[in-house]
Amino acid sequence: MKVRVDSERCQGHTLCKMIAPDSFELDDIDGTSSPVSELVPPDQEDAVREAVHSCPEQAIFIEETS
Amino acid sequence: MSELIADDERKNNRYHFDRHTPQYRLQFEKVTEEMHRECPVAWSETYNGHWVAAGSKEVFELARCPAVSNHHDLTGETPFKGISIPAAKRQSGVRGGMLEMDDPEHRLYRTVLNPYLSPAAVARWEPFIDEIVRASLDEKIESGRIDFVDELANIVPAVLTLAMMGIPLKKWAIYSEPAHAGVYTPEHSPDIDRVVAMHKEMGLDLLNSMFEIRDNPRPGLVNALVEMRIDGEPAPDMEIAGMLGLIIGGGFDTTTALTAHALEWLSEHPDRRELLSNERDTLLDSATEEFLRYFTPAPGDGRTFSDNVEVEGNQFKYGERLWISWAMANRDPSVFPDPNELLLDRKGNRHFSFGLGVHRCIGSNVARTVFKSMLTAVLDRMPNFRCDPAGTVHYDTIGVIQGMRHLPATFTPGPRLGAGLDETLDKLQRICDEQELARPITERKEAAVIR
Repeated sequence: MKVRVDSERCQGHTLCKMIAPDSFELDDIDGTSSPVSELVPPDQEDAVREAVHSCPEQAIFIEETS
Repeated sequence: MSELIADDERKNNRYHFDRHTPQYRLQFEKVTEEMHRECPVAWSETYNGHWVAAGSKEVFELARCPAVSNHHDLTGETPFKGISIPAAKRQSGVRGGMLEMDDPEHRLYRTVLNPYLSPAAVARWEPFIDEIVRASLDEKIESGRIDFVDELANIVPAVLTLAMMGIPLKKWAIYSEPAHAGVYTPEHSPDIDRVVAMHKEMGLDLLNSMFEIRDNPRPGLVNALVEMRIDGEPAPDMEIAGMLGLIIGGGFDTTTALTAHALEWLSEHPDRRELLSNERDTLLDSATEEFLRYFTPAPGDGRTFSDNVEVEGNQFKYGERLWISWAMANRDPSVFPDPNELLLDRKGNRHFSFGLGVHRCIGSNVARTVFKSMLTAVLDRMPNFRCDPAGTVHYDTIGVIQGMRHLPATFTPGPRLGAGLDETLDKLQRICDEQELARPITERKEAAVIR
């Protein structure tokens, strides 16, 4: 699975980091999110999917590879 | 007429919406269900006429729409009236800080505040917050009685906000009471003169702090605002004053309201309380988001259309006013199954309680951190607390803040852990000054050390 955060849409709500702490990192200065790595390790896929559903700005996009 | 549909056709979804009446609070779920089913965007004749967005999809699109403006034109020459519907009677002659600005102006001010309020910046304050909570609870722990509003949830956000601003902590009461009473006291109340007088005192102290810090800089949000430059010039004093008022308004009563409602609910649901306490490692985050969704302390914001625009099939015209209801969007069953149930482990909880788009509540990280500190300390030290419904006073109306005036509770007394509030505030002031805690994250990375 690949993950991307649309930096134009992200407003720093921080829910993704709360839900999938190993998959997202937040900017120190404004709290906006970016993926730790584009490729999501299999054991984090569920958490990343939950982060997608929980993003208030709908700013996280995933692409199922396999 | 070709592209302009007649007004009555545009406004054929009508709903008499008056969120400032006690009935709206009492019938919130019924009104919300009706609006979701029949509207979910409606024209209301109330307050000189305005649109109301209740559906999650419509709220999502309108809050992020470039033709929807936050701007407040104080001259009254244009229809831009900012975020209050109706306009506040006690006009202070200043805009409501960046919340009543559009980009790019809004962005200038927001950029200045970000490094003080980001998740990393707020995390540094955790030991400081825990210490205010500890001292507030210690004041009451031996007695077995506390008012969670007056003696906890009013104090902690106020002290922390002043600390972040660079204003002396011992002034918290000058700020806390007017910030709180100013929201719940209606214009016709016999108490209004006293509240207005307190508000003036607070406003004066804010202005004095601004002048004082300009002359003798000390770290904090006030300093950041007086030092900022726009095209090489300082920000206008009145805009800084508006920003400071916004920080107080945003920082105080909202977190108080969230905490009080959560504690009241947990008292009514002791099995959920025990579960949350026992499984806080996995439940605290999701429960916090669910309390935010369910109670939506700041239930909505006003806007003005800056252009003719069609959104989700509705046609809006330049100059029309709009109420974006975060609270009603938070109960939309298409996003939140069983929306009127409070589920501590709710999934996919993309709630609207901090707003959406570029104006996302800049204090959201502060709110969560302060709330979690207060909640967990109460669960640890007063695990069997029982709120007293007879003494509980909710705000009569939830048009501005869904808040509470009093929430008395009893619990099994316990031992004090340290000094009382006054002594603790003296100590925390010293720590604040020595460690320069109110510096931005760009200048100081370390967490506060409480000795």
